[in-house]
Amino acid sequence: MTDGDLDATDPRTLPGFFDALAEGELLGGVCADCGQVLLPPRPACYACGSRAVDVEPQSREGRVFSYTEVRTPPPAFAADAPYTVAVVELADGGRLLGRVAADYADVAIGDAVELAVREPTAAEREVALDYEADWPLHVFEPR
Amino acid sequence: MPEPVIASVGASPLGRTDLPGRDLFSVALAEAFDGLPDPADVVEAVYVGNQSESYEHQIMYGTLLAEWAGLRYVPAERVEGCAAAGALALRHAVKDVRNGEHEAVLACGVEKMTSAGTSGATDALSAAFDRAIEQRSGITAPSQYALLAQRYLHETDATERDLAEIAVKNHANAARNPRAQFPKEIDAETVLESDPIAPPLKLYDCAPVGDGAAAVLVTTAELADDLDRPRVRVAGSGASANNIAVAERDMTDIAGARVAAETAYEEAGIDAADVDIAEVHDAFTVCEALLAEAAGFAPAGTGYQSYRAPAERADGWTDVRLSPSGGLKARGHPIGATGLLQALEAYEQLTGAAGDRAVEGAETALLLNEGGVADAVTVGHVLTTAEAP
Repeated sequence: MTDGDLDATDPRTLPGFFDALAEGELLGGVCADCGQVLLPPRPACYACGSRAVDVEPQSREGRVFSYTEVRTPPPAFAADAPYTVAVVELADGGRLLGRVAADYADVAIGDAVELAVREPTAAEREVALDYEADWPLHVFEPR
Repeated sequence: MPEPVIASVGASPLGRTDLPGRDLFSVALAEAFDGLPDPADVVEAVYVGNQSESYEHQIMYGTLLAEWAGLRYVPAERVEGCAAAGALALRHAVKDVRNGEHEAVLACGVEKMTSAGTSGATDALSAAFDRAIEQRSGITAPSQYALLAQRYLHETDATERDLAEIAVKNHANAARNPRAQFPKEIDAETVLESDPIAPPLKLYDCAPVGDGAAAVLVTTAELADDLDRPRVRVAGSGASANNIAVAERDMTDIAGARVAAETAYEEAGIDAADVDIAEVHDAFTVCEALLAEAAGFAPAGTGYQSYRAPAERADGWTDVRLSPSGGLKARGHPIGATGLLQALEAYEQLTGAAGDRAVEGAETALLLNEGGVADAVTVGHVLTTAEAP
């Protein structure tokens, strides 16, 4: 097993992944052995156990796989509620959860969406752990 | 290899109580040891299922509860796996007896969930989700399960009314369970008209927040006989972790639960069709439907018929009765204690101590206890009074 040289610039770590996302690039792990997409990238493939994981840019376009509305939020996000969240299947095959910039009533399974990236708000920085404070947030916008 | 048995069980009152966790445990322990020698004369090790230190700002629950039981210098530890912590504690106890390390191990669980209101529980439970993506997106336990429910309703013939009927069935069972947090019957309209929490899930689709503790004494068969206690064999135990993030799992085939159940069946030498009763992890109504399929009781897409009498279910269903206790939904769901409350129900059902809610002729039970969302981790146990095959 290798990977002993992983550091925070490597997109298979969270700081590396979010640094790229802040630049607008959504990176996924892609298993060289079975093709499984891993979002975010990580050192090993959960589908087959392989550690031959390539890091590749992923399409930011996808379709809503499932969705709901959060009406009783965690205290940190009380001011945002209600908000819509979805699991989105991206065009390159990976699936990612995130908020949707649309009312619940206006969303349906199969809707086309595109991932957008923004900086954390002051309120989000307030509830972030120190090492997360600059990590960007993603949101799915209807297309 | 010694075969582990459950020799005694006990629980605290469930719901909103004025007792902290250690005191809830004392109540559960007193019931489990009623008529037995003191714990210090019997118990050789302790495992404590406990979800979160945020409710009481207390870790070291193994040490604390061993002390409160009057035990000193024994191995004791807290087991963590969110809502599966209780069954993980049971599994550790079972393995210790099975491998000959101990003759008697106390598996217990405790949660003081009402200490900080709904927002405190919502926050504590959200720690079970992936921090980087899921938590930062503001997801909650009801909304995670709503994602599963939305997908299940999309892929199958099930309707919101079917999910409501699962809650109705579990409340009817709880009405005959003196331990239940909500021992009262409800109708489907009550569920369908209750407040939307995370659509399509409504308030009455959700298990309640509540306090509680449970204690289960696992021993060798010989020791149970010496103690003159009815015994139930723990014939199989399986556990399985799946991805932490819901998005990366199959959201309608709960594969981790399937593995845990099949492992337990294989150890017990039985099939799904041999199971008479099952306590499954119905934290939300849709879970009972999904777990009926994962456990092999129902063909894919028909698990939502769990509320129907066996003769009225789709072809391929077994005759199993689900959640005779009332399930997490109505019996109660004090997170770390839940897996042990499932074992308690099976013990009472299989030893003729279930009173009005007894399922006639029940010999074999399956327990499925989950942690995180759905099968992030699942623990399965087969309990039986049937002779070993």
